[in-house]
Amino acid sequence: MVYDKLMVLDVLKPHEPSILELSKKLSSVAGVGAVDITIVSVDRRVETAKVTIEGGDFQYDKILKVINDYGATVKSIDRVSFGKKLTSP
Amino acid sequence: MISEIKEKIKLLKDYNKIAKIDKIARRYFVMNTFDGVLAILGVLLGSFIVNSEPRVVISTGIGAGVAMAVSGIWGAYLTERAERDREIKELERATLSRLRETKIGRAANAAVLVIALIDGLAPFLAAIIILAPFLLFSSALSSSQMYIISASMGFGILFMLGVFLGRMSRESILKNGLIMILAGIVSGAVSFLLLGGNAAAARA
Repeated sequence: MVYDKLMVLDVLKPHEPSILELSKKLSSVAGVGAVDITIVSVDRRVETAKVTIEGGDFQYDKILKVINDYGATVKSIDRVSFGKKLTSP
Repeated sequence: MISEIKEKIKLLKDYNKIAKIDKIARRYFVMNTFDGVLAILGVLLGSFIVNSEPRVVISTGIGAGVAMAVSGIWGAYLTERAERDREIKELERATLSRLRETKIGRAANAAVLVIALIDGLAPFLAAIIILAPFLLFSSALSSSQMYIISASMGFGILFMLGVFLGRMSRESILKNGLIMILAGIVSGAVSFLLLGGNAAAARA
């Protein structure tokens, strides 16, 4: 049975590398089907982004590794949805 | 091999986006090439006034070039390192995480290396190019011919630097080129006024 997974992360990141590069890199992680990043707020040195990742069997550790390598930190995991069919919030 | 180089170039482009290497490297390149050209033109003029042999010009010029290369690499490495370290520390405070082992840290390291190399090699290469007639054709050309060709190459590089600046600022290429050449002339004139009198006295 194929399961779907959706995860929404609250991420604090520097302005550079930009979300263009971050989203590209995240979408190349095994099992990731789609990535959406929305900037929520912008400070002088950092910005807060809502990172939504959807896919089949991706591993959170690998996602975290990419995010950390780009100098960003996950402040919180705001939503996880997992199952044969994703539920709407 | 080629794919490896391509990958390195891609990586460097990524680092450039993060650490804004090109902007600073361009400035250092122009400033230090300019420094190198004026220094070697000074060496040429000084040697010309006292009528030095070509091998003296070569050793003085190369000596000056090496000194500028070492001073450029060393100085830029230390200042750039300090500046980048400060930036990373500030960013670490803002992101609440360690950044040295991340892409940002690696980009900063690359920036320091690239900028130090440009800062040192730019004046050295300028010196080598200007001294090329002395290095390559000292048996084929007369002493005064070598001086003229070398000085012309120096002024040529100055003009090219002006062209580069003109293109960078999207302003008149000719105007910038001429301003650069004027700097060479001013430097030469001042040296001549300081040295010329002494040399004339020495010759007489």
